[in-house]
Amino acid sequence: MVYTQRTPWTLIMGVIMVAYAYLVQSGALAGVIKYLGTDRLTGEMLTLGYTFGGIAVLIGLWQLVAKTAEGHIDYYLSTIGGVTFIMLIAFIVKWGLDPQMAQWGRAAQPALGFNFASVMNLNYVVMGIVAGIVIVNVFKVPGWAENGVRLSRLGLKTGVILLGALYSFAELQQLGKLSVVLIGVFVLGSVGLVLWWGARRNLPNSMTGVLSAGVGVCGVSAAVAAAPVVQAKSTEIAYTIGTILLFGVICMFLFPIVGKALGMGYITFGAWAGTGILNSAQVAGAALAFQPTGIETLKVAEIFNITRVLFLPIIVIWLAIWYVKREVGAKKVDVGQVLISKFPVFVLGFIILFLLSSTGIFAPARHYQGAYFDNSDKVMVKKDRSGKEVNNHLKDPDLQLLQKEGEKVKRDDQKAALQRLIENKKLMSIEDDDTLRGVVNAKILSKEGNAVLAKAHRAVRHTAAKIAMFRDLIAWFFTFGLVGLGMQITMASIRQAGGQPLVIGGIVGLIKAVGSLIVVMLLVHETI
Amino acid sequence: MPAFAHILLASHDTPGARAAERTALEHCSAGGRISHLIVVPDLWRGMMGDDWLNNAATRDAYGKYVENQLQREIQSHIDRLRPAVLARGFAYEFKVLLGKPAECLLAHSRELAPALVVIGAPRPRGLLGLRSRMHPERLVAALTAPLLVIPYPR
Repeated sequence: MVYTQRTPWTLIMGVIMVAYAYLVQSGALAGVIKYLGTDRLTGEMLTLGYTFGGIAVLIGLWQLVAKTAEGHIDYYLSTIGGVTFIMLIAFIVKWGLDPQMAQWGRAAQPALGFNFASVMNLNYVVMGIVAGIVIVNVFKVPGWAENGVRLSRLGLKTGVILLGALYSFAELQQLGKLSVVLIGVFVLGSVGLVLWWGARRNLPNSMTGVLSAGVGVCGVSAAVAAAPVVQAKSTEIAYTIGTILLFGVICMFLFPIVGKALGMGYITFGAWAGTGILNSAQVAGAALAFQPTGIETLKVAEIFNITRVLFLPIIVIWLAIWYVKREVGAKKVDVGQVLISKFPVFVLGFIILFLLSSTGIFAPARHYQGAYFDNSDKVMVKKDRSGKEVNNHLKDPDLQLLQKEGEKVKRDDQKAALQRLIENKKLMSIEDDDTLRGVVNAKILSKEGNAVLAKAHRAVRHTAAKIAMFRDLIAWFFTFGLVGLGMQITMASIRQAGGQPLVIGGIVGLIKAVGSLIVVMLLVHETI
Repeated sequence: MPAFAHILLASHDTPGARAAERTALEHCSAGGRISHLIVVPDLWRGMMGDDWLNNAATRDAYGKYVENQLQREIQSHIDRLRPAVLARGFAYEFKVLLGKPAECLLAHSRELAPALVVIGAPRPRGLLGLRSRMHPERLVAALTAPLLVIPYPR
């Protein structure tokens, strides 16, 4: 079978991308870029525009001119059209719609009383997923793009693997422990609750089994893994997947709004989204919607996602045993075979990247978390883009405020660190920075006092250029993956949500979301 | 009501469709033919949803399982209807199509040119079942054969 479809669209999209990059480079779009406030993104506009555009132009020409023959190369090249299609949508959303929506949000604020773009998190991640959903449901994904759209899964997995390089041992250890406890309680709890409730409502075992996996573990992925094991009927699969997709899409919008309203930090929100959102794809979406300009929340949420997927084989085995006990003639399951076949291989990639980065092979170890310490004059006094000098030392009013509030600090080490800060107008060591972060977290000073300490912290913590680029790359992999996955959420499948599965799945999903929120707010701290 | 020599029956084993089956059997003329159309709604194309965590083997196993399951359900439907049709001395044939129900019925009707098309009425609101409706208004506008819509059994 020949996969490549003869279409001019790959070439057309490539030309649009290259032309856009050229117009940015030549300064022809300077006015637009200034209006949208996207000048900090011009680097990626050039790099990505020329790279993806150039490849699309070459492959697009080849697809129009050359004769295609069956084989691996044909299949791989057939994905370029879809990949370019997703990237073009991501470009439009990130470089155009996102900043424009932010402007509209600000413009409408006086009339509405709130910034709708900020409150509803209408950033490039959310709008990219929505764009994907609109395309598949209103216009249909073009045939020439289908193979490329399927690659979005690979994009997400690659993003998770690369993310492995950005964790420290301490982070991974503490987040790992936290995720095992939270996921363990809420996954096992919700699977058990659905199984118990399904039996009370006399639902078929196959229905209860597939619903419990979907609601309990990681949404659609768990339903896909469990359906054959519990021999689910076609309608049962449809109800379950419809319910999960409906719940997942709603959660992706609601979680960041609630998280911001409750003043949650990156760790608490990541832990909540990673535990409470049924469907794993929407966990990444919600994390990036909550924090579109950084990946701290994503780092936390993905540890929870990985923990979930590691739980999946265990839950599948549990359901298999549960089902065999209840159904006469049900086939026994080979536990070893399930463990091997359901093991998520990409998690190994994540671990390998983590181990490699720990050796310092890519960058100095302290750079990986992004915020390495440097208080030299070279970084404290810098020039901004317009050439104006920016001095990041604390100013007199800041110092007077700290002096005034200093008596609230009782601990000797904190007093000493604060004194050194006041004397030098900047933080003098990593230890002082850590000590005063403790003062901020304990809310010892007033809000204004904490803001001064936060300013001093930001002045000495810096992101290595190499790591910043790496983070951008990861964010792009996730953006690509999420826009592509949006193109796989059909309204026809969401509409199948209904009946008892919707009632049970909806209530258990809600209990999980609210329960995990309460636990996270009570027990999880914003520092690791 | 007159009898018809060739009836195209669209049925997918729901209570409404079974009512349509009974009517088709009643109104087929002696020695007539019943062509049975089963539509697998194209909503199944999206039933992998946005799964991204599973590996290719698991996704493949799921795809094959769903395909086999749908096949089993269709086969049991055929196994129930075929003997009833043959017992009355009518010829029986079936066709399974994947797509939108109304589009598939229109295409199959164009191909067969039956004397009568029989379908069940859309499921009343509130009753459980897959949401994939046959839109009678589209059929009325496009079918060349008479259309008989059987009320949903109460």
